[in-house]
Amino acid sequence: MDEAIVVEGLEREFKGGIRAVDGIDLHVRAGEVYGFLGPNGAGKSTTVRMLTTLLRPTGGTATVAGFDVLHQAGDVRKSIGVALQDAAIDPFMTGRELLRLQAILHAIPRIEGHARGEELLERVGLIDAADRRVGTYSGGMRRRLDLALALVHEPVVLFLDEPTTGLDPTSRVALWEEVRRLNKESGTTVFLTTQYLEEADQLAERVGIIDGGKIVAEGTPAQLKAEIGDPTLVITPTDPSQLEAASGVLRTFGPSADTKPGATAVRLHEGTEGIVRVVRALDDAGISTAGIELHQPSLDDVFVERTGHRLEGDAEGAAGGKGRRGRKSRQ
Amino acid sequence: MSPALLQTLSLARRSVKGTFRFPQAWFPSLFFPLVLMAIFTASFGTSAAHIPGFPKIDGFLSFAMTGAIVQGVLISGVGAGGFFAADIEGGFFDRLASSPASRSAILVSRLVAGMFLATCQAIFFMAIALIFGATIQGGVVGALIVIVLAGLLAIPIGGLGVLLALRTGSAEAVQGMFPLFFALMFFSSTFFPRETMTGWFQTVANLNPISHLVEGMRQQIIVGVDWRAAGVSLAIIIGLAVLTVGGSALNLRRRLEGNQ
Repeated sequence: MDEAIVVEGLEREFKGGIRAVDGIDLHVRAGEVYGFLGPNGAGKSTTVRMLTTLLRPTGGTATVAGFDVLHQAGDVRKSIGVALQDAAIDPFMTGRELLRLQAILHAIPRIEGHARGEELLERVGLIDAADRRVGTYSGGMRRRLDLALALVHEPVVLFLDEPTTGLDPTSRVALWEEVRRLNKESGTTVFLTTQYLEEADQLAERVGIIDGGKIVAEGTPAQLKAEIGDPTLVITPTDPSQLEAASGVLRTFGPSADTKPGATAVRLHEGTEGIVRVVRALDDAGISTAGIELHQPSLDDVFVERTGHRLEGDAEGAAGGKGRRGRKSRQ
Repeated sequence: MSPALLQTLSLARRSVKGTFRFPQAWFPSLFFPLVLMAIFTASFGTSAAHIPGFPKIDGFLSFAMTGAIVQGVLISGVGAGGFFAADIEGGFFDRLASSPASRSAILVSRLVAGMFLATCQAIFFMAIALIFGATIQGGVVGALIVIVLAGLLAIPIGGLGVLLALRTGSAEAVQGMFPLFFALMFFSSTFFPRETMTGWFQTVANLNPISHLVEGMRQQIIVGVDWRAAGVSLAIIIGLAVLTVGGSALNLRRRLEGNQ
């Protein structure tokens, strides 16, 4: 199996004619971490629900771990680990009880299931909290338990739907580490949805950007950024009256770019190597600088380029609606 | 043990544990029937024998015991539906659905848990009534018939709770059906014999299957072991179960196919 996930023309239309997913193609290689990036309501969760057999596609085909999601749903379920949005965990059960139950759901023999449960509790750092009810866990602990639950049966493909939404930065980084380690040590294919650019950038080998139910860009983060092109150099002159002169110098290195007030910016044609020459030219012109910043193109720039709107701004704006459960976004 | 059976029993155990660990879930199903049983006994305990048409009884408490048992099962059924809806809302249902676990275990486990809880409840109410002086004319066999019927009654009632949960997907909506369950009981002979009712009220109670169900159980307590009456109760339970559990199974399938 070279490709863990193959999706062709996948569609999901809800009652009322809303096309949450509108004909997407995906090829995720075995052992890859694939990041599915997009704002709220872009179709990420709907795609994951179809790939995890929770929702029937209304068009197209999808295979996961070599099995068709519609006609071989049982085999798909045996091969996948799923951690859905909001860490759906029974608050009245303890972490240990849930892990044992999950092992039973996957028909893992008792002794093996118990051993695997302990191993995972240890691994995600919940061994001390194992006998506490999940209702008392912090958000980060729930996500880690959710991840452990998804790994009980050593799945071939792991689906993580917005695994760090609502987590504090420390917990987020800890979860990233865990996903990286898992991918590296066990070669588990990871399909991750996120609305955070940084998350996609940090974790994913390849990124698919989805907006309005369609994939608008796909590639490695570096490739996508390279498509946007040159880095931006931002110069803040020490003396504000020299701003105009500084802009004049910069224009010889490439087209000017938007920036903050009191500063001037240029898209560096020569790339990063051009900085030295710019600094020298400014020095020759007698312009002293209070600040020099180099901005590599970000995935956000890619997003803006392809969709015409910003991702992070949208994500923040929609944060109030984050309490929404995946279920409800199914209309 | 086959994986499907183990999954059913493990999920049932989880449901029972969840109920015990959430006092708001089991407290009302024990408290309200006890209160009603106490109030009715205190109010009618001595005068019941003089009401025309009231069956000859040993004490009102013996008569009221069945009502408490059935009421407890009904309240628990709403609770079971509420838990199931909470599983849908919270995403636990998706966890089950995305695992290779037996599809029927998802539904059957909830019903098995309900049976277990209803049996415990029936024993509890019976014990309380006996402590306070009630008698069971059917003796040990009669008591066992009532306990077994109460346990079985949890199947159609739990099925109705789950059906509502699957249709609405909302714990609040299921809890909102609570008055309906109560109306079903009050317009029946759960608390008073049909012989003492008049007019349209009696007609409704005559038509209400709950009346015949309760009477079949009560017969064992106030008259003596009556297999025919028990058979009527059992038939009603089976009939209701076919409707509600069948409906649940259909709706479960629809939901699992992601068409809702």
